[in-house]
Amino acid sequence: MKTDVMVIGAGPAGLSAALAANQGGAGVLLIERESRPGGILKQCIHDGFGIVRYNEKLSGPEYAFCDLEAVKSRNIEILKNTFVLDLKMKDSKFKLLLQNPDKGVFPVTATSLVAATGCRERTSRQVFIHGDRPAGIYSAGTAQNLINIHGYLPGRKCVVLGSGDIGMIMARRLTLEGAEVLGVYEIKSEVSGLTRNLVQCLEDFDIPLYLNSTVTKVHGARRVEGVTVAAVGPDYSPLFGTESYIPCDTLLLSVGLIPENDILEPLGLAMDTSTGGPIVDQQMMTTIPGLFSCGNATHVYDLVDHVSESGATAGSAAAGYCKKDCVQGEIEVKAGDNLLYAVPQRLVPGKDSVVYFRSARTMDNVLLQVEAGEKVLTNKKYIRLRPPEMERLVLEPLPAGLEKVVLSLKEAETDA
Amino acid sequence: MEGGLQLVKKTLQSKGFPQVELSERRGAVVLEGEVQNWDDYLAAGYGAVGYGFRGVVNNITVSGLKNCFTESRPAVKDLSLDSSEFDVVIVGGGIIGCAIARELSRWDLKIALLEKEDDIAKHTSSRNNGMIHPAMAVKLGSKKHHYNLRGNRMYDQVAGELGFELEWPGSLALLTKSWQILLGPLAKRSARKKGLHGVKVFSRRKVKDLEPNIGDEQRGAFYMPESGIVAPYKVTVAYAENAIQNGARLFMNTMVQGFVMEGSRIAGVRTNRGIIQAGLVVNAAGIWSDRIAEMAGDRFFTIHPRKGVIAILDKKTRNSQKLILGRAQLNGRSHTKGGGLTPLIDGNILVGPTATETPDREDYSTSAKELQFLEENHLPLNKALKKDDFITYFAGTRACTFEEDFIVEASKYVENLVHAAGIQSPGLASAPAIAVDVTDIAVSILKKKADIKANPNFNPRRLEAPNPGKLGLEDRNRLIAANPSYGRIICRCEMVSEGEVVDAIHATLPAHSIDAIKRRARAGMGRCQGGFCTPAVLNIISREINSDITEVCKREPGSEMIVGRTKDKARAGYEN
Ligand SMILES: Cc1cc2nc3c(=O)[nH]c(=O)nc-3n(C[C@H](O)[C@H](O)[C@H](O)COP(=O)(O)OP(=O)(O)OC[C@H]3O[C@@H](n4cnc5c(N)ncnc54)[C@H](O)[C@@H]3O)c2cc1C
Ligand SMILES: Cc1cc2nc3c(=O)[nH]c(=O)nc-3n(C[C@H](O)[C@H](O)[C@H](O)COP(=O)(O)OP(=O)(O)OC[C@H]3O[C@@H](n4cnc5c(N)ncnc54)[C@H](O)[C@@H]3O)c2cc1C
Repeated sequence: MKTDVMVIGAGPAGLSAALAANQGGAGVLLIERESRPGGILKQCIHDGFGIVRYNEKLSGPEYAFCDLEAVKSRNIEILKNTFVLDLKMKDSKFKLLLQNPDKGVFPVTATSLVAATGCRERTSRQVFIHGDRPAGIYSAGTAQNLINIHGYLPGRKCVVLGSGDIGMIMARRLTLEGAEVLGVYEIKSEVSGLTRNLVQCLEDFDIPLYLNSTVTKVHGARRVEGVTVAAVGPDYSPLFGTESYIPCDTLLLSVGLIPENDILEPLGLAMDTSTGGPIVDQQMMTTIPGLFSCGNATHVYDLVDHVSESGATAGSAAAGYCKKDCVQGEIEVKAGDNLLYAVPQRLVPGKDSVVYFRSARTMDNVLLQVEAGEKVLTNKKYIRLRPPEMERLVLEPLPAGLEKVVLSLKEAETDA
Repeated sequence: MEGGLQLVKKTLQSKGFPQVELSERRGAVVLEGEVQNWDDYLAAGYGAVGYGFRGVVNNITVSGLKNCFTESRPAVKDLSLDSSEFDVVIVGGGIIGCAIARELSRWDLKIALLEKEDDIAKHTSSRNNGMIHPAMAVKLGSKKHHYNLRGNRMYDQVAGELGFELEWPGSLALLTKSWQILLGPLAKRSARKKGLHGVKVFSRRKVKDLEPNIGDEQRGAFYMPESGIVAPYKVTVAYAENAIQNGARLFMNTMVQGFVMEGSRIAGVRTNRGIIQAGLVVNAAGIWSDRIAEMAGDRFFTIHPRKGVIAILDKKTRNSQKLILGRAQLNGRSHTKGGGLTPLIDGNILVGPTATETPDREDYSTSAKELQFLEENHLPLNKALKKDDFITYFAGTRACTFEEDFIVEASKYVENLVHAAGIQSPGLASAPAIAVDVTDIAVSILKKKADIKANPNFNPRRLEAPNPGKLGLEDRNRLIAANPSYGRIICRCEMVSEGEVVDAIHATLPAHSIDAIKRRARAGMGRCQGGFCTPAVLNIISREINSDITEVCKREPGSEMIVGRTKDKARAGYEN
């Protein structure tokens, strides 16, 4: 099999990438490892999706449905239950070995590759939870899958560790499904998810939130019987004497998401350690020509509409690449003072670009500056920035010949 | 032995334990009394070694220490095995018990293996490094050395017959001081005496050529080519399945609780499923083997658990290292193999183990301190590794005696009891050889009473399900065409297909829990730790064994994963 553009992953990023590549005139093959397209949206049955892209508040499955209809209307081929077994480059083409139940193992050659593989959850092991190993410890996303896709209840008395968005959404979901959520424990001094979710999921349902505290131990030989929680000091280590035991049958973890790029790593592309994803330019092209990344595989977005936008950008640039109409970004974008990160990390001059960034901490009345050498290119004021809330910024085309632009946040002088 | 007791008394007095009372029982020295803490208990036990006794029975109590610790026991209680008769009853389904069952199945015998857990290999045999040691770190003249060397030499054949993966990457015992290289000739001579082949001394440059990521402080190494790796739980499963295929019976959730003695014979084995008539009993109960001996009135040794914590690294680290890396243990007095970094047969790297004494035999909890130790002590051996690469960690306990050696022998006082006890490290490496000897001992005892013939149907080859991941492209496609479920991958990290999970569920030794499937098919063992495949595996188990989703367990009954259907309570309340 041969194709111009091969898209891996049929979540919102992959679906819009496939659509855009098709609209750009390229032949497209879209593969998805699950039996249904839609990615993580399939299990996000709450609303709040699509305000930007579809101008209305949709649930996750509705949003995915809209995307899928568009893809279907253009007869784009989707191979489901399809896994990538191997990925190599040869003569500047992408050689993939795929497997599914219908075709067995088969090779595909693609001129351009879009990786829209989403992200995975950090596990209890990665946050170094200790104690017993009973049943009843779930990541919030797995619990969401069990409840929303299968109708299974993973527990009746739950403690949530971590205040990520999925954790807060699941705290509400479990409450609605008849389980008791005893509290959300967050090691940091503020929630790590969106303010919207804090209000709508925890406060509206009277679910207690405990900041500066964590779960130090799990108890139970077979099923979870309880957890020990404790307050933590500034270095996040538990404070002696603050431990207390909470009887429960389930521990849910919402402790972070990791962009999933394991299949790309053998190609030797440059990664950004602060996003966990590949380094890309504003066309979403990685440091390997013809290889694009979008959606949560690039960095973890907070809004699906922006995921789709990145997918569309990647898809149309991938189609352009097949027509030899795509150059690699060389201007470095540096996340300077008070920034957690900025994406893209490279820019092609002479083109518009959308830049996403997160602040390193919660800041009020700040000024974002984009500088090239001594010259300030853009200034923008923000009343409040929080790390969980991603900011989107449109940059004017840059002149050729620049080496580097720096984004930084400065606390504005407060008017006395 | 009067004189021996006097000497032990003196030693214990000088160590500060004048209160310990001594007696002799059937050639073993028995310690009684009370001490303040576990360290003292151990010190007293070790203090009694080396005065000509068969073993040390340490019955000292520790003030403040509760006597019963965590121990899992089967929940079932019935009479399903009552009055059943077997020629041989093996206690314990670890690598040792399962290998013995397979070797015994060469004979025309009715064999039963009893395991208290819901699956085999749930204790030490799945909680170890998976290394086939080269018999270098064991004392010449010890049983450990004897069985390690012989077991090591047997592994190629056993792997071929039973169809488990085995590799011989070789190991490096790293040296941090340049002068230690001068010990090379000594090490080589000792290796030759111990029967090892091909041991070499490598300079730092040579080590760096072989392992470019080697830590900076390493000055050289002893190289031992005869170091191998296996997946220990898969070896145990392979032995067990071949034993079953040759007629042995395995009974899970069946715990030995005592013996019915008739004079100096075991007549019956008391279990939670009734009393089993046994011609002969093999004690392969691992960490509990002293308790089984006690039940037969034949305890002449004491097991004191030594815990080891292990961490597993993400598969993407595997290319950063080829050989097994450890620090050379030059003082010869340390009771552990020191630990290090072991490449695994399934493509990860293993870090550890630690070695700490604990009174609690089945305490497999881990702590931040132990993880930190692994990170600081072992990770630096390979500069490409970082703490972020940890995907999981766990603990096991070694069944150590105070004599620090294996016990592989017929009981001296019970006619029909054979011990394979105190099998600490390198028990995995030694298992094939121990099983052969235990079988010889058992058969010679049984032959005294009856004529024992070879099993005419014995087949040394295990019949097993296909492994699509190991097949060539054409064979794999043929397999998928015939059964598409081998093409449907459900575990994204380890690339395990639905077909393989179904095979594990219906295998010779069926796997019906999430963890049992993990040990057979690897689904859930990867970097996402089951986050992705758990819902799918739950559904497949429920479908294949025809039980409700709320009955599917992580491990034994009581570890159910799903408590109900969404809104079930509310719905029930509404309908009432
Ligand atoms: C639990 C949760 C709740 C959220 N809630 C909201 C919300 O309320 N509002 C909002 O606006 N946004 C929300 N988001 C954000 C947004 O919905 C997601 O970030 C978005 O779905 C990400 O899209 P994606 O296409 O990048 O990834 P995904 O949706 O994860 O899709 C990736 C797809 O790629 C497939 N795939 C991966 N690897 C391979 C491979 N090797 N071969 C084949 N296929 C592969 C996967 O199976 C998957 O279908 C939420 C996100 C999560 C995780
Ligand atoms: C951290 C660590 C690392 C190690 N690394 C290595 C290595 O790299 N190489 C090596 O060669 N060795 C290694 N070892 C040692 C090796 O794992 C053991 O020697 C071996 O697994 C012992 O097997 P076993 O069958 O005797 O014990 P087990 O596997 O513990 O089996 C005993 C079984 O008996 C059952 N049982 C107990 N009491 C009863 C009862 N009353 N009724 C019914 N059943 C009962 C238990 O449930 C258990 O399943 C290591 C050990 C540890 C702890």
